[in-house]
Amino acid sequence: MNSGFRQLTSPIRRRADATPGDTHLRYHYPGENAQAVSAQVQQESTSTVVEPAGIAGRIGAASSNPIQAPSVLSAVDLFKSFHKGKHEVEVLKGVNMSVPLNQFTVILGQSGSGKSTLLHLLGTLDAPDKGEIHFDGARIDNLPSSRREALRNQKFGMIFQFYHLLPELTMLENVLVPRMIGDGMVRYWLNRRKYVERAKDLLNQVGLSHRLKHKPNQLSGGEMQRTAIARALMTNPQLLLADEPTGNLDEKTGRGILEILRTLNAEQSLTIVMVTHDISIADEAHHVVTLTNGQVD
Amino acid sequence: MYKYLLAWRYLRTRYIALASIVSVTLGVATLVIVNSVMAGFKQEMEHRLNGILSDIVFEARTHSGVPDVDAHMAAIREVVGDDLEGITAAVHVPAMVVFRVGDRYLPHHITLIGVDSATYSDVSDFSQYLLHPENREAGADVFSLRPGGWSKRLPKSGWEWREYQSAIAKTMRQQRERLQGRGGQATAHDTTMPPPDPYGAIEAAKPFDPAKDQHDGIILGVAMASIRDRDAEGNVMDYFLVRPGEDIQVSVSTVGMPPEIESDWFTVTDFYESKMSEYDSSFAFVPLSKLQDLRGMVQNGSRAVTSIQLKLKSNSSLISVKQRLLERFPPSSNYPFRIQTWRDMQGPLLAAVQLETTILNLLLFLIIAVAGFGILATFFMIVVEKTRDIGVLKALGAPSRGVMSIFMSYGLSLGAVGSGVGAVLGLIFVRHINKIAQFLEMLTGREVFDPTVYYFLEIPTLVNPIAVVGVVIGAVLIAVVASILPAIRAARLHPVEALRYE
Repeated sequence: MNSGFRQLTSPIRRRADATPGDTHLRYHYPGENAQAVSAQVQQESTSTVVEPAGIAGRIGAASSNPIQAPSVLSAVDLFKSFHKGKHEVEVLKGVNMSVPLNQFTVILGQSGSGKSTLLHLLGTLDAPDKGEIHFDGARIDNLPSSRREALRNQKFGMIFQFYHLLPELTMLENVLVPRMIGDGMVRYWLNRRKYVERAKDLLNQVGLSHRLKHKPNQLSGGEMQRTAIARALMTNPQLLLADEPTGNLDEKTGRGILEILRTLNAEQSLTIVMVTHDISIADEAHHVVTLTNGQVD
Repeated sequence: MYKYLLAWRYLRTRYIALASIVSVTLGVATLVIVNSVMAGFKQEMEHRLNGILSDIVFEARTHSGVPDVDAHMAAIREVVGDDLEGITAAVHVPAMVVFRVGDRYLPHHITLIGVDSATYSDVSDFSQYLLHPENREAGADVFSLRPGGWSKRLPKSGWEWREYQSAIAKTMRQQRERLQGRGGQATAHDTTMPPPDPYGAIEAAKPFDPAKDQHDGIILGVAMASIRDRDAEGNVMDYFLVRPGEDIQVSVSTVGMPPEIESDWFTVTDFYESKMSEYDSSFAFVPLSKLQDLRGMVQNGSRAVTSIQLKLKSNSSLISVKQRLLERFPPSSNYPFRIQTWRDMQGPLLAAVQLETTILNLLLFLIIAVAGFGILATFFMIVVEKTRDIGVLKALGAPSRGVMSIFMSYGLSLGAVGSGVGAVLGLIFVRHINKIAQFLEMLTGREVFDPTVYYFLEIPTLVNPIAVVGVVIGAVLIAVVASILPAIRAARLHPVEALRYE
């Protein structure tokens, strides 16, 4: 584990598909032997599981870390540079980092530190010049584009600073878009009722059940970002990648968005990687990766 | 699914793109209208050409014609067999007709056609184009002057006019004779009516009375006998140089060598209006036997003809019958007739119309192609405008071909809407083209479709569904092709660069 990785979290998180009342808590190790892990979890669960009253309490309770969480996503010696005219700008200079499973990781850095580039590489939106990215134990940076597209559609959820909703579609349709992309026309049509129910449920979870038929230009920034979160969750992703999701919002609204993300992490054990320059957000994360001039501090 | 949803939403919300397909709409509508009007003209023209010329024409290679026509017709019947609907023999000869207008004589070069009125209507629509309604009936004696029932277009005509003219001539003659102090019998032929047949007195033993007798009938093309113009109020009027009931002198060449000119008087019994100006201004019809007699085409009781015309049954193949005839009567065998179909005879005219239609289609399709460039430019603009959305779709896992499909579907739907609306507009325009022409005339005060130029009273149209479908498919293809480049550009956008685009 690299030196810039701060471990702030509770070791035990819920499995992504666990219900709130599920007592069979476990780590999710890629490629692990299910029976062995199950036995281990049975042994440990009674002593280590804490049912916190709220998100803040949960994050606070996570300060002790008796068990090292397994990594779901990791970067190994990443290099990335861009050409600006004749000049080559080296953005990432050998980044090593890991995203622990079911935890809230923050990539913290100043403007121009390369944090967004790192997130794009982790989300397979771009390819590194050098180095490797591993997800679920497998290398993903060199996958063919169709596999990377499937990964982005099925395994990763993404939210952006400027929400990036499609202006021609209603909120409900925006949330359904990942399913429309992932499924063929026939499959989508056959499952459309189920998907619409799921999208409505997600919009309800982010408090937008009354905005289903609205277009993005009829909504506030906070509402658009909440819709973007619902969209990111539509395909039940394993990982949520957030690129400064509060950067374009006022402080109060930004807090609301953060609250939703932390609730998702706490209640649904969703692994979240969030890029921010706001140190106050970093203070509340389980892990913080600090980037300075393209290198992890 | 997202491709079609987005293409549909773009179609409904990007009005600038709809503006870019207005040119496609107009191009398609214009193509539909032009094709329909051209097809209408062509059909009308072909119908008339075919109606006048019959299907297959045996044209004599010699000036003097071909004798023993019955034997030739029997041989032709044998070859054509069941495909034959009707057959007739005729004489076509260049001639000159002289009209007297006031004190002046107006010569006119014509093609004089001697027809057998019993069989000519079997092969030609000739009788359908006659002005007198009774002459259009089957079996009518078209070369006998009718007393009344003339079309309202004509001034006083027929026997009524003939009697009136004769009475005036008689009065004038009497006046002149009284002034000259001779009195009594008329010795000189008056100048308004033709002289009596010098042999008539011998043959019929009675004097020719223009009020009661007529010469052999002649049917003149209406454009030859009249001038179409406008009156003081701007209404289209026909001014007739000669009317049914009047006598005219016709001169033809005889069959001897060198040819001599033979003239005779004929009584105009009707006019012929095929609305093909070429024919209406040059064709005149007389009884076949009269023309054969006049030209000296009767030798030893055998009458020569210059053409044999055939009408085939409607389901017969013109080409195959012609082929059979050519095989039976090869041109190399010194066969006295040249065998042609009506299409062969009017080849240059039909080819010119076809060329005109092709070039018009090409030019109008170029308009749609220009519209295609409009779509291309608009689509590039939309791709630039939608760069971020493309980035989002790619970030959400949309493949490049999916992004490409959005813009291709958009182009397809724009093309379909544009050309569909254009086709509907065009068809509505074609349906009401004459009312629209009238409205435009009322609005502008100028004649859109001048009946003094065209002999059609209404604009003829014929909608060919295959042509309309072809135009629509062509326009949609152009729209799709125009959207390929912008779609490729969209597909190639890098997701990160697209997301960062401002």
